[in-house]
Amino acid sequence: MRTYKTNITFSGILTFLLAFSSISLSAQEIDILLKGGHVIDPTNKINAKMDVAISGGKIMKVAANIPATSAKKTVDVSGLFVTPGIIDMHVHVFQGNDLGSYIADGQTAVPADAFTFRAGVTTVVDAGSSGWRNFRRFKEQNIDRSQTRILALLNIAGTGMYGRFEEQDRADFNPEMTAYMINKLFPKIIVGIKSAHYWGDFTQVDRAVEAGKLAKVPVMVDFGEHQPTNSIKSLFLEHLRPGDIFTHTFAYGPKDRETVVDDEGVVKPFIFDAQKKGIKFDVGHGGGAFFWRQAVPAIKQGFKPDVISTDLHSDSMNGGMKDMANVMSKFLNIGLTLEEVIEKSTASPARVINRPDLGNLSVGSEADVAVFSVKKGEFGFTDVRRNTLKGTQKMDAELTLRAGKIVWDLNGVSGPIWDSPQAISK
Amino acid sequence: MQNYFKTAKNISLVLFLALITLNVSAQEIDLLIKGGHVIDAKNKINGKMDVAVKDGKILRVAADIPASSAKKTINVNGLYVTPGFLDIHGHVFHGTEPDNYLSNSQDALPPDGFTFRAGVTTVADAGGAGWKNIDLFRKNVVDKSKTRVLAFMNIVGGGMRGVETFEQDKTDMDPKLTAASAKKNKDIVIGIKIAHYIGHDWDPTDFAVAAGKIAGIPVMVDFGKALPPLPLEDLLLKHLRPGDILTHAYRYDQEFDKSGKMIEHKQAIVDVNTKKLKPYVWEARKRGVIFDVGHGGGSFNWSQAVPAMEQGFHPDVLSSDLHTGSMNAGFKDMANLASKFLVLGMPLADVVAASTWNPAKVIQRPELGHLSVGSEADIAVFRLREGDFGYIDASGMAIRGKQKLEAELTLRNGRVVWDLNALSAPLAK
Repeated sequence: MRTYKTNITFSGILTFLLAFSSISLSAQEIDILLKGGHVIDPTNKINAKMDVAISGGKIMKVAANIPATSAKKTVDVSGLFVTPGIIDMHVHVFQGNDLGSYIADGQTAVPADAFTFRAGVTTVVDAGSSGWRNFRRFKEQNIDRSQTRILALLNIAGTGMYGRFEEQDRADFNPEMTAYMINKLFPKIIVGIKSAHYWGDFTQVDRAVEAGKLAKVPVMVDFGEHQPTNSIKSLFLEHLRPGDIFTHTFAYGPKDRETVVDDEGVVKPFIFDAQKKGIKFDVGHGGGAFFWRQAVPAIKQGFKPDVISTDLHSDSMNGGMKDMANVMSKFLNIGLTLEEVIEKSTASPARVINRPDLGNLSVGSEADVAVFSVKKGEFGFTDVRRNTLKGTQKMDAELTLRAGKIVWDLNGVSGPIWDSPQAISK
Repeated sequence: MQNYFKTAKNISLVLFLALITLNVSAQEIDLLIKGGHVIDAKNKINGKMDVAVKDGKILRVAADIPASSAKKTINVNGLYVTPGFLDIHGHVFHGTEPDNYLSNSQDALPPDGFTFRAGVTTVADAGGAGWKNIDLFRKNVVDKSKTRVLAFMNIVGGGMRGVETFEQDKTDMDPKLTAASAKKNKDIVIGIKIAHYIGHDWDPTDFAVAAGKIAGIPVMVDFGKALPPLPLEDLLLKHLRPGDILTHAYRYDQEFDKSGKMIEHKQAIVDVNTKKLKPYVWEARKRGVIFDVGHGGGSFNWSQAVPAMEQGFHPDVLSSDLHTGSMNAGFKDMANLASKFLVLGMPLADVVAASTWNPAKVIQRPELGHLSVGSEADIAVFRLREGDFGYIDASGMAIRGKQKLEAELTLRNGRVVWDLNALSAPLAK
């Protein structure tokens, strides 16, 4: 009897101790808890109030009401939208000081980290700034030294976007070398091929597609600068494969680029067919490739881009483009829902570049997270010719995490008040 | 009849001439910034005024300039119109040299991506280049930027190539060569920088001041790496001249030695125990030493700034210390920094003065930082947002505030180079 009683007490204490130690373990499990926000994660079909727990740089849990006591640090994000870190699929970040060059190792390219985190972006895809001849320099000089995850489309022109003349050199459009660079050396960083700025026929696109077939990656085409213009119908239906990407979708320069929307403001019927076939339409706003006269009627008629992207470079950064959050805001103001805008900036580009590991908040994936506020008020947005569209909503990147680390905090939501007891005495 | 005809002809001639004149005056102004509240410290303007721009210059600042006299009018009702901001402590000597810190390297940034969107039109690089690479700085940065780029030249000939090595080399600190190069490049060189020196001696500071004397320009000091520490009091009262600049004014560095004793490298301006501003700091200000913010990634702490501001010790100059380590942290951009000082109780007019006319005077560029008639039309237009905002310091600590400045419109040389909400653009058809 006595022994029995003791045993109960002993096992009771043991149970208590075990329970306690498991609680204290779980108390240390979560590094950062983003609490009270509205999560939009299209891959996982989440569009609801949820908390996001991060541990060891990875997503640990996305659920309602995760207790703050279980986290080392809790950031209150009530009233804000929590999304996967944004993927900007069209940028130019091969920044350097070759003053003879246009974008490849040149000053028209910009440093990625200066523009990404402040706009909620955690991954960028450089769109053909480098070719197989100078990709390694790009990697060493820019990719390896950036906090932003930088992926790349390799230009079919060997020297990348060195200059318009080099980009015409058919002798330097080498599918084998381009594919080797991907297959043999950098399959994890190079996610596609770029064709751009070519003045001639379909040769460049065809070589790019050839390289794309060899490397099993998509091709992105900037189909401007042909004089006279080449048929985009032929491009979509005869030259590109399903999964290939048409960028600068809403450009308007009828002399050197066939437009998606005709002069009467009607989306050309074959555009819908092309999208159905699997051609991916990318925004690639840039300094000269986004017009309200194209985008507004297109959205109204139900033609939506597959991917929202910036075409960031020094000639777009201070113009109508500004940054990814601004470009996303534009689409929010012309009829896309917030969920659509997020989908086209996260899950969709991840699919297009065949990187299902990115653009979602699935458990175990790298904790690249963006937190946005959507401001209500009177805002103005310009296209590349400074025509204005008035809007009532604007997205601000409030907080950005890259691999679980806070890399941007617009309003100091992650820091303790300086003279509070929680503050580090400094 | 003939007379009548003649008269009619004369009348029509007069009318014709009048029309021409009208036409001329109708086209007199290229750009009219209308309805804003102008703050121009040099010209003592702090009120509702219009600003007229012609040929890239300020044509007139006055109340109620008629829109009919301008080719283009931008309505800035409810916004503040100021001279383009000067940021006299940036790091913009960007380049691709590995392991070269802020000299032709990647910790420095191309200026245009950070200036215009924050209302800044002039930036001075704070010591990235020395006399050995100022030419490269000019070629790669000054000549290639839309922002007006000036420079404090480092007393170290090779510039800010690395704290631990190159910047400690006293044999590469030559006052005469530095001054000669500064004079030769006087269109861009506005001062001398001394920074990061860890030795327990005053030589580099004195070299910098010697160079400054020869070239007739101020010295900016980033002080506080010496081990054992050198007294800040001596720097401010004995080594610097009136007009020389202490940057990182609100920095608080602390480190502990092996025995656990705190070493205060920089020797903060506010005594950390009493929270009082040290008396010699007031004395230094009276002497004419300039106190510059230089926020940076690690050089601005609420624990210094809040008590200093409460005791009325406002900075003479607001500046960024822009580089990759500060751009995404507490600093962000100059508009964010200006907002911090608003939240700390500095009146908006003083914040603007400390970002325009004050720095222009400090770097002896009286043609900058104001909207006087005939000056280059570098203009910023800000919105003062009211709401619930937060700001973090270099140690990640936060403060809440009700105000935030946002750069709505920036003009450089009369041209719109930033337009956040399309104030200057026509509506899409």
